[in-house]
Amino acid sequence: MQLIVTAIGKAYANVQAVDKVSFQINSGDIFALLGPNGAGKSSIIRMLVGMTKPDSGSILVSYQDQHFDHVPRRLLGYLPEDRGLYPDKSIEKNLLYLAQLHGLSKSQALSEMAVWLDVFELTERRHDELKQLSKGNQQKVQLIAAVLHKPALVILDEPFSGLDPINQEKVVQFLRELKARGMTVILSAHQMAMVEKLADHMLLMAQGRVVLAGTLEQIRAQSQNQRQLKVAFSQPVAEAQLAALSSISSAEQVSQQHWLLSLSELHSVSQCLQQLLALGELTQVEMQTADLHQLYLTAMAKHQPKPEAVA
Amino acid sequence: MISRQSLIVARWEFLRFFKWKQQLVSYLLMLGVMAAVALWSFFTDESRHQYRIAVPAGFSIDNTEQFQFQRPSISLEAQLAQLQSDESWHAVLTRSDSGLVIHTQSGKKWLSQLEQVLQQHYRKQAAVGMGLTDEQLAQLEQPVAIDTQYLDQSYKGKDRPEKMIALGALILLFIGLTTAFGQVLMSITGEKQQRVTEQLYAILTPQQWMDGKVLGHSFSALKAMFTSALVMLLTFAVVSVFADKSIDLAWLDISVVLWLIPFALLGVVLCASFMGAIAASIDDPNNSGKGAVMMITWLPMLFTYLVIDSPNGWGMTLLSYLPLTSFAAMPVKLAMVELAWWQPLLSLLLLLATVWWMRRVAGRVFLRGMQLYGKEPSWGEIVRWALSNKAD
Repeated sequence: MQLIVTAIGKAYANVQAVDKVSFQINSGDIFALLGPNGAGKSSIIRMLVGMTKPDSGSILVSYQDQHFDHVPRRLLGYLPEDRGLYPDKSIEKNLLYLAQLHGLSKSQALSEMAVWLDVFELTERRHDELKQLSKGNQQKVQLIAAVLHKPALVILDEPFSGLDPINQEKVVQFLRELKARGMTVILSAHQMAMVEKLADHMLLMAQGRVVLAGTLEQIRAQSQNQRQLKVAFSQPVAEAQLAALSSISSAEQVSQQHWLLSLSELHSVSQCLQQLLALGELTQVEMQTADLHQLYLTAMAKHQPKPEAVA
Repeated sequence: MISRQSLIVARWEFLRFFKWKQQLVSYLLMLGVMAAVALWSFFTDESRHQYRIAVPAGFSIDNTEQFQFQRPSISLEAQLAQLQSDESWHAVLTRSDSGLVIHTQSGKKWLSQLEQVLQQHYRKQAAVGMGLTDEQLAQLEQPVAIDTQYLDQSYKGKDRPEKMIALGALILLFIGLTTAFGQVLMSITGEKQQRVTEQLYAILTPQQWMDGKVLGHSFSALKAMFTSALVMLLTFAVVSVFADKSIDLAWLDISVVLWLIPFALLGVVLCASFMGAIAASIDDPNNSGKGAVMMITWLPMLFTYLVIDSPNGWGMTLLSYLPLTSFAAMPVKLAMVELAWWQPLLSLLLLLATVWWMRRVAGRVFLRGMQLYGKEPSWGEIVRWALSNKAD
């Protein structure tokens, strides 16, 4: 399934929740929507699901030579941010009900359910009422509910929230399994380490707008100012000396002789090294690659809403 | 048309509130209580026992199956002493200026039966004194048969068994709607609280979802009505058996019952749709006053009851065609007056069209209500949604 989203916008009561956002998702990709709370991720997801319509722009969904303006329900597996199931019903009854609503027969649903319950180690508890399960296990049941009917597109809003690191890792494995089965996955998350492991493409949003988009490498490339060098001098160097260099935008002292330097956008690494050697002998030079977490924080810092001027 | 998904939702909703083991136990308990009450009244029926009554000297009265009258040769004081100390007498009669005095340990039901026997005895004595024969006395005591001839040929009569059917229909509708009221409110607002709604939206349309809910809870209501009717009939049968009467269901007009079924079905679906629309607009049932509005659905029964004694009046006629009230009024009218076949049919078709419209309204309100996060819509918004054309 391919999705082409072009300049969509959505406003709620004078708040522009989504502002001319465009992106493309290719079949079989894992696509991550990133951004702080209120960035517009859930609004985009609700438009993709068809719960709300965009005020402007378009959504084009292509699947097996058919085209739609939102994801057809039969092709969609959805884990909403605001989620829950029937707490006084068993895992099996909950899953069976949702699977049958998706059009599966009872035997199909039970056989598909057995596979996923085994993956999440819930087979022994399938007759337990949902309210007897831990929050993490309830979330696993919800993830199973989203994929039982083998959808072409799975949209997961905050799939890692509320899970401990072990269960987060299980969800990572689950998402890889979905990709291996040829499903296209859209997820929104705050857990950058998880997203970095998984996502083929990502979209960083702030205040309803796209801040950065692309693969991790493309995003790194877009964040040139995040090139960092970790260096050590043979003798002490003052911060003022480093700050005076045109190739350095910022310097952070890590230990007595170690510095973490951010390179300015206008200079190359070799230009920077030449300027550093002029200050003294270098005993260590290490190029630092910013991880997604750092990229995200830097990007968000740039797009923080400015405090209102006091009259 | 009702989709397959709606039927799955309907089944789920019906079974969510149908705990067959609990239902079975409650019915068995109810039957047990009824049987215990019947057995109790059977074994404590004083008319089956025999009572010894001491009468004054010279007082002559025939014994009955229940009462043995004896003239003891001992003094009144001795009789009263026996009455107090042993089981010789159940009552001692003495003469007074105005008639008789009954002395007994305490007041019991058989005393009124004794009084009736004594009254009958005195009437008979008086008749003999006046020279009347037993037949003449019986004729005097025979009430005059007064019949009413209604000029309106279609009116079946005010206090005839048909009114029982009409009242029974109203009671059953009330039971059905009360069941639907509780379940629809709990089900829809409960799903919002349990945050299932958004997940379900990704699977089926708001209209399919609402259709399923309405259908499921309507079946629950009809089940409640059916079982209540069964319990009513069973009670009637048990009472008839213990009252030594044959079970006579001749008063049960099958043609009225056959009309009652579609009216009740559509009436319950109409009200459940209305309740669904209101419940869909409630964000938090603990902090919303909208739930009380659902009780509007009880008004048709109340209005019908108010005009039940004028089934041919303009009030009942209006109510029996108005689609919002016809489900309650037309079966009552049918039970009490003869109607041409097209009259209930017309009323039913109008009701059907209104049910169709109301289910669309419920779907629209649910769709829009879902898109308002954490905010309860105003009545103005609900009316606007209800009148819009968008349902999916």
